[in-house]
Amino acid sequence: MIAKKRFATPFIFWIIAGTVIPLISIAYYGFTSREGGFTFSNIMAMFQHDHLQALGLSLLLAFISTVICLALAFPMAMVLRESKYGKQGFLIFVIILPMWMNFLLRTMAWQVLLERQGVINSLFAAIGLPRQEMMNTPGAIVLGMVYDFLPFMILPIYNTVSKIDNHLIEASYDLGASKFKTYTKVIIPLAVPGIVSGITMVFIPALTTFVISNMLGGGKINLIGNIIEQEFTVNSNWYLGSGLSLVMMVFIIASMLLLQKFDKTGGQNLI
Amino acid sequence: MSELIRLESIVKRFDDTVVLNGIDLSVAENEFVTLLGPSGCGKTTTLRIIGGFEKPDEGRVFFDGKDITDMPANQRHINTVFQNYALFPHMNVGENIAFSMRVRNKPEQYIKDKIKYALKLVNLDGFENRRIDQLSGGQQQRIAMARAIVNEPRVLLLDEPLGALDLKLRQEMQYELVRLKKELGITFLYITHDQEEALTMSDKVVVMNEGYIQQEGTPEQIYDEPVNAFVADFIGDSNILDGQMIAERVVRIDGVDYPCIDGTEQGFPPGRPVDVVIRPEDIDIMPYGQGQFNGTIISKLFIGVHYEMLVQSENGEIEWLLQNYDQHDVGEKIGMKVDPENIQIMHKPKSEAESARELDL
Amino acid sequence: MKKIFGRIYILIIMLFLYLPILTLIVLSFNEAKSMSVWTGFSLRWYQELFHSKIMMGAIANTFSIAILAALIATIVGTMAVLGMAAMKQRTENVLMAFNNIPMLNADIVTGIALMLFFLMIHWPRGYMTILFSHATFCIPYVILSVKPRMNKNTDRLFEAALDLGASEKYAFRKIVLPELKPGIMSGFLLSFTMSVDDFIITYFTRGAGINTISTLIYSEVKIGIRPSLFALSTIIFVVALVVLITVNLRQSRADRAV
Repeated sequence: MIAKKRFATPFIFWIIAGTVIPLISIAYYGFTSREGGFTFSNIMAMFQHDHLQALGLSLLLAFISTVICLALAFPMAMVLRESKYGKQGFLIFVIILPMWMNFLLRTMAWQVLLERQGVINSLFAAIGLPRQEMMNTPGAIVLGMVYDFLPFMILPIYNTVSKIDNHLIEASYDLGASKFKTYTKVIIPLAVPGIVSGITMVFIPALTTFVISNMLGGGKINLIGNIIEQEFTVNSNWYLGSGLSLVMMVFIIASMLLLQKFDKTGGQNLI
Repeated sequence: MSELIRLESIVKRFDDTVVLNGIDLSVAENEFVTLLGPSGCGKTTTLRIIGGFEKPDEGRVFFDGKDITDMPANQRHINTVFQNYALFPHMNVGENIAFSMRVRNKPEQYIKDKIKYALKLVNLDGFENRRIDQLSGGQQQRIAMARAIVNEPRVLLLDEPLGALDLKLRQEMQYELVRLKKELGITFLYITHDQEEALTMSDKVVVMNEGYIQQEGTPEQIYDEPVNAFVADFIGDSNILDGQMIAERVVRIDGVDYPCIDGTEQGFPPGRPVDVVIRPEDIDIMPYGQGQFNGTIISKLFIGVHYEMLVQSENGEIEWLLQNYDQHDVGEKIGMKVDPENIQIMHKPKSEAESARELDL
Repeated sequence: MKKIFGRIYILIIMLFLYLPILTLIVLSFNEAKSMSVWTGFSLRWYQELFHSKIMMGAIANTFSIAILAALIATIVGTMAVLGMAAMKQRTENVLMAFNNIPMLNADIVTGIALMLFFLMIHWPRGYMTILFSHATFCIPYVILSVKPRMNKNTDRLFEAALDLGASEKYAFRKIVLPELKPGIMSGFLLSFTMSVDDFIITYFTRGAGINTISTLIYSEVKIGIRPSLFALSTIIFVVALVVLITVNLRQSRADRAV
């Protein structure tokens, strides 16, 4: 045996100091009032009108972005799968490249494009169309989410569909399945692990973001991420911020459990 | 022949399962000993204990008279040819073979000569600079041998070394191994689940099952005189039948009485229920009505040299397995006869543990 | 027909992915500050970028943190893989479950949790707290990339080395490390990129007065976009392009050598 248990000591220390205790601190603050007593009020605060609205909007926008990403990514993954090998390497490269650019800069790019004095409106003006108010709308936020997270949907799906044995698809045709049936009965079920990790990698950051909504929503559209961020950075109410974070974690865990039901491999395709 | 390895009542448990249940084994200098058994029988664990990769929970291991139970693997004069070879993938053939000599800081010229010698021995001259993934399975197997022997071990442990090869290559390598052993003049301790390999190469075969040694002896002894139904079933095809001693040296099977050569002296007094082994090639076919019993052929397979047939006996429910050079048709009624010396009488297992204890005596 | 359809589809996705980036690149060379009027070619925004002490400091912080965090994560993670191999399956499963938390959890929660932890133990937030936090979220990636290489076969090769007379140290250095090396390398690179890319966790765990590229961009964008950020985008894009092409070329050359 190469292995000695004590090699894991620094790791266990790091888990305790970097993951366990910090999560306990959130729980501690979440259940503590400003005066220091035990309270549920930070948790119940989620049911205040503003917070509930923000949470609802977050869930809605994250859901829409995830659906759009999935709709764009699956055909892309299939096209990549069917294109020739050498070309495939190049195409994957092209999809990975934007991921290497800081996502703040990528989000900023859309700000540049969408603003009232921005590139698109200038083009509109040049051909005589009226300027459009595109920034600070939920649509702009969804666009930013799709743009930032699309590669995270394409790659895991591509990883699973590229491994599907061609013989399986041929066998499906051979057994009399139509093209449509082959997709619904063979290809998509086999791609489920990739789809599940793709959804996880898009939905959760989209649900919890405060950056995209801040930059493309102009501070006028509040998502749950913005509310929490403001409690920590503007209002300095860590107790309330922690309480709301705990509720948001419940949604994260619930969505992951829901997704895991579909994926029997248990998230092996996450990276 | 002097004794080289001795295992004394070795017991090994993994978590709560007992893998070895008190193994006693002696291997003589220059002997070819094979541990034979199905997977999970404890043969690999036995080998790993001798190699120094596992410590027994009870019992001692002796090598050349000295207790080596607590000696680490890298200090034992024993080398192993691993299952799937365990060749280092990031080194080429020469570097793999040189590994044990480099560890010992041997001079480079010596190493070079030794690599040449070892490659010649396994018939792969000039392969020094090949990469491991450029080799076929058979070649990898030979390199694993070469790597294990350059250090001049006194014992070579071989853990199913032919398991990953196809049938034809496996048969070729069996001859090769016997030749190598002769040339090297060292002890081979060989592990396999393939009874044919065990019978063709070994001086001594040790049949293991469920952590016990079931029987040890020469290949002929194991084949001709299996001590229990497990050994008989594991070694070759057999008819293993329920019987009862009804008189001195007479056994009744399926309502027919057969003279045999075992009696009270061998521990089978009249009245005792027994297991009987009759090898399919030991049943002679006679014209209908002229043998000891009759039956109808219900299926027939041609297997290269001979035919294998299933015969439904007239007296009862038993299907006999027969091997014969002559062709008979399905549906044909035949008579059959078995010579007394071909009827192997065995004790019925009372329970796994009990039967094993009896064998240990 | 199908092929043409596929090509058009790829083209549309590519345009979607790259047009915004191309816009930034073009605007970075624009003389004017305007986002809509081209007034002439100029490198003034690049000059402004390189003369900004804050930006240069942020770049230095980003890369030194990324290298250190990746190093720490690689060492701790690789050791953890070795340690876990000696553990019972159930203990290992528990550790792996904890290992997955920072990977699956939302960054905002991880960031807030770490921030509260630092506040509780009175660890003043700054360079070191960012480094600690980055190592925390990098370790899981190292473990996930090294672990698959540490399998039954690695054990067998290690045993083979001992069987041939090597000491445990020698066998580890000569056999086990080379076996794990590809996993260790990719774990390091993954950690490095995750660290460079991170904004959210850094945002919550940094103190006032210290910036990485990401946090600096965020605060600048909030005040108002300056074209020097377009210049920064262009530089990052070109660097990423060069690095990825080099890696790809090396990879394909290595593949061809096989």
